[in-house]
Amino acid sequence: MELLGVIVGISIKALIFIIGMFLGAAYLTWIERKFAGHIQQRPGPLHVGYHGLLQPIADALKVLTKEDLVPDGVDKFLFYLASLMAFVPAIMILAVVPFGEGFNLFGFEIKPYITDLNIALILALAFGSISIYGVIFAGWASNSKYPMIGGLRKAAVLIGYEVALGFAMVGPVMQAGSFSLKEIVEAQSSYWFIIPNILGFVVILFAILAETGRTPFDVQEAEAELVSGYNTEYTAMKFGLFPLAEWYVATFVLSAITVILFFGGWQPFPLLGWLPIPSIVWFFIKVFALFMFFLWVHWTLPRYRVDQITELAWKIMLPLALANIFIVALWVIVIG
Amino acid sequence: MEQQLTVWAFYTFSALAVLSAFGVVFFKNIIYAVLSLISTLIMVSGLFFAMGAELIGGLQILIYAVAIVVFYVLVISTVPEFKGNSVDPAYMLVSLPIGFILFLELAYVSIYGAWQSNVGLFTNEVVKEVGNIKAVSTLLFTKYLFPFEVASLILLVAMIGAIVIGRKSHVIDEEEAK
Repeated sequence: MELLGVIVGISIKALIFIIGMFLGAAYLTWIERKFAGHIQQRPGPLHVGYHGLLQPIADALKVLTKEDLVPDGVDKFLFYLASLMAFVPAIMILAVVPFGEGFNLFGFEIKPYITDLNIALILALAFGSISIYGVIFAGWASNSKYPMIGGLRKAAVLIGYEVALGFAMVGPVMQAGSFSLKEIVEAQSSYWFIIPNILGFVVILFAILAETGRTPFDVQEAEAELVSGYNTEYTAMKFGLFPLAEWYVATFVLSAITVILFFGGWQPFPLLGWLPIPSIVWFFIKVFALFMFFLWVHWTLPRYRVDQITELAWKIMLPLALANIFIVALWVIVIG
Repeated sequence: MEQQLTVWAFYTFSALAVLSAFGVVFFKNIIYAVLSLISTLIMVSGLFFAMGAELIGGLQILIYAVAIVVFYVLVISTVPEFKGNSVDPAYMLVSLPIGFILFLELAYVSIYGAWQSNVGLFTNEVVKEVGNIKAVSTLLFTKYLFPFEVASLILLVAMIGAIVIGRKSHVIDEEEAK
């Protein structure tokens, strides 16, 4: 009976996380459009609701009620599967990301995470990289040239940066002595792991921009060359799932993981620990700061060429990540 | 009841793994075969989770289901509309006995492993205490350090070999040849 309680509890929690992420992602689109607008000296969404606040809901209704076209030559099964394969793994990462410490509410202990596995980081990496199939299969199933090229470009980019991303995450793991994201945060109570890991953090910034297909690295849907890249043939909600997964859910979740690894997760800022702010709020302040940083990069920089991107991955990012491991190893030996 | 749940998970994952393994063999469209391969590998990772080996399960997804199969997908999807031809059935005379020998070998290893698993330092209780990662890394960097390094050397040799075979003669050489 106790087990049944656990299962029901976890199911309810998972539902809250998923629905929260859907609504959250909808409003992340509003934040992005508003932010991008102000960067480029235009107002962004303005007319639907106060300063465009209802725009995400209008967009969602539009996307859901649009005619769902499936072109003739496509492989129907894979065509439908691909958009789900891009979206579902991205949202599955949420299962292992902790958002704060457990706290008491009306006498119940509430833990703002679904599970605390001791291999959480590996699982997060694994789920994150499964979504690559969504993009490749979308390219293949569309049976059309531009999506095909877009999918293959994305695969080439991801293969390079996935390796660098994995190696860059090793530093904090070595310092904390654990793969559990919760334990990594707890190990940062005296100082944040950004201190010896600065190289790893730089590599992770580049890797996240590449993984989520944000601008300096968005070769997979380079509008000027490929129409819209791998999602050219998609319409309505099948189309909507791709940017939702890549630009919002994945960027948000990877920002959360970066904050956990390098910026002390839900630990308060140095010297500000006396403020009466709950841990979960600290965590979201940091995650949003990082998320905004990615938006800022996205709406400012032009695009790299494909060969430049893969060269950057293998010749610069991978050696930097390895150097980071070396530095952190020295740090652990000398300082402890 | 938790025991019951693990048993159910085991049978579900095994059944799905076997089903999708059949898919790998019998799908004519090669992309579907690869899709079933991914499904098989993920189900096997589920089996590892059901047996309490989370580390291997996670690495199974990360390395096999993604890092390796993605190269298959990359190669296959650059050859669009490739449906694959059936092979002459006469080859079955060779492949069946070899497959059977491989099966015997695997069966021997798994039965032997089941026999040996409770011998040695890391019994189930110890693994539960220290966690999967510590148990694996302790053995990997003490008892099996030499085989581990040899394996990485073999991979390095294979990688260099692949580069040498796959590389085109340099552009400058071609110009000189003219």
